[in-house]
Amino acid sequence: MTENIDVEVDESNLPRRVERRPIGAPSVIVDDLHITYRVFGARRGGTTQDRKSLWDRAVSLGRPDTGPITHVPAVRGVSFVAHHGESIGILGTNGSGKSTLLRAVAGLLPPTSGRVFTSAEPELLGVNAALLPRLTGERNIIIGGLALGLNAKEVRRSVPDVADFAELGDFLYLPMSSYSSGMASRLRFAISTIRSPEILMIDEALATGDASFRKKSMARIEQIRDKAGTVFFVSHSLASVRAMCTRALWIDKGVLVADGDVDEVADAYHAYVEGRTDASSGAKLS
Amino acid sequence: MSQNIAAEPLAPRISSAEAEALAARSGLEQMGVRPPLRRYIAQVWERRSFIWNLSASRAYSRNQGSYLGQAWAVLRPMLDAAVYVVIFGFLFHSSAPGIDNRAAFITIGTFTYTLFQTSVMSGLNSIPSNIELIRSHRFPRAVVPLATVMTETVLFGPILVAMVVIVMITGLLPGMGAVWPTWSWLTLPFAAFLLAVFSSGLAMFFARVGARAPDIANAMPFILTLGRYASGGMFMISAVVPDHLWFKPVLLHQPVAIFLELFRAAFGNESLIPMTPGLWIEATAWAVASFAIGFLYFWRAEETYGRD
Repeated sequence: MTENIDVEVDESNLPRRVERRPIGAPSVIVDDLHITYRVFGARRGGTTQDRKSLWDRAVSLGRPDTGPITHVPAVRGVSFVAHHGESIGILGTNGSGKSTLLRAVAGLLPPTSGRVFTSAEPELLGVNAALLPRLTGERNIIIGGLALGLNAKEVRRSVPDVADFAELGDFLYLPMSSYSSGMASRLRFAISTIRSPEILMIDEALATGDASFRKKSMARIEQIRDKAGTVFFVSHSLASVRAMCTRALWIDKGVLVADGDVDEVADAYHAYVEGRTDASSGAKLS
Repeated sequence: MSQNIAAEPLAPRISSAEAEALAARSGLEQMGVRPPLRRYIAQVWERRSFIWNLSASRAYSRNQGSYLGQAWAVLRPMLDAAVYVVIFGFLFHSSAPGIDNRAAFITIGTFTYTLFQTSVMSGLNSIPSNIELIRSHRFPRAVVPLATVMTETVLFGPILVAMVVIVMITGLLPGMGAVWPTWSWLTLPFAAFLLAVFSSGLAMFFARVGARAPDIANAMPFILTLGRYASGGMFMISAVVPDHLWFKPVLLHQPVAIFLELFRAAFGNESLIPMTPGLWIEATAWAVASFAIGFLYFWRAEETYGRD
């Protein structure tokens, strides 16, 4: 196996390969999902916008060097069914809509059209959780825990564990703005793993911190993964996707181009990425 | 899978009708749909400690990063009041005929309007400025505008104390009537509570507007300045606006004017502004109506917050 695009994870840090579990009832159904971002301004002249209504022109009057509202379709009609016992990797180049799809399935981004059905509240485990920089680590753990839906008592009980896991030490009582970036991302990771949900979504959470913390966080992810019914996993690292998942979805420019056994899809994706000459992918503008 | 190397779109394996039937059969629930009102209210109530913690932390972090820190929460409305006292208390002193202590009259008006103004402004910006939080966790979105208004209300605590002290000091100014403590001062926190409830309703209303059209944030300061004058922040509407104007009753009974009147009546130092049960009833009615309408209006777009 040659891994040219994998720079983050070396073999020793890879999770143990997930064993295949019996496939149960559906847990997530995605039906013709579309997500379109609305961007103000930008993109006048050039590119593809040719249909200009009077309203569009009126709106852009005050901004001579920008256009009106631009719609960026990030996900364009994705449908699939996920079952209990499946671990699903989402593959795709930068800007192909992987993270957007994950967020939409987690219920964090409202779909522009289409529907998502789930058997339980999915939880997105990520390193981008919102933290307030002026507050202390302790306060942020409390707010993060409450945002996750824990009650006040559970949150207070979990503070020492989270602080311990994130290796904050005395920095727990200093504002987040004084943290190193590694510390902040360790804390984010620790906060988002307070709960173990039935449907788990992991967005590039493996590249957090130094080697020793990566090992620790891998162990934590494995632990949560084994408890979860269905796991979704987004990563650029083909090796981790192969190790973590039993099935893979490949997304390109917002549409699903392959859906099947992880090794088959990963091989096809690898061949595609190797053979590709132009690096400009990204969402296709309509 | 080799046919997919060119990244051709895959035909969907399941149609919409099949997906719906399968979801119904397996007992799955649709995500991102607005919950029924009753359940939504229960969800918001369950998150009350989240609202409280979020707002208390925000209140604390608000004035960090400046030398005077928390003192700015009190200093800002004081400076505001000082400007209006100089202009309307001493220069244009016909603005409130029959009032013994114009400086106190203006101070109370300005400080009270501050709570209203900051609540509406922060409610308007609450969704855009918390977009990260909204996009990383799932919770009833009404938490966001409610927490921002609660932040302003928490910060209003010390402002209320400062207001009482300043109003007493204005009694020492030349030409201003003295101010003595009365039992009615004990009703001030209740008046502040009603104003906070009223402002929450408006904040939720404008949170939805601001989430969809950020442009309104630019227009809002002008509307709020207009509101300050239309509510009699520094003059007496009943004395200054001529009787024959048709909109005078509107100005007198619009909610913000009622709240300013309520605060002034609670100080009880002016015989022209008596404390009446009618005033409390009117203020309560406005507070309840505003909260109910704001909450409903916000809830109606629950599924759209976080979308760009």
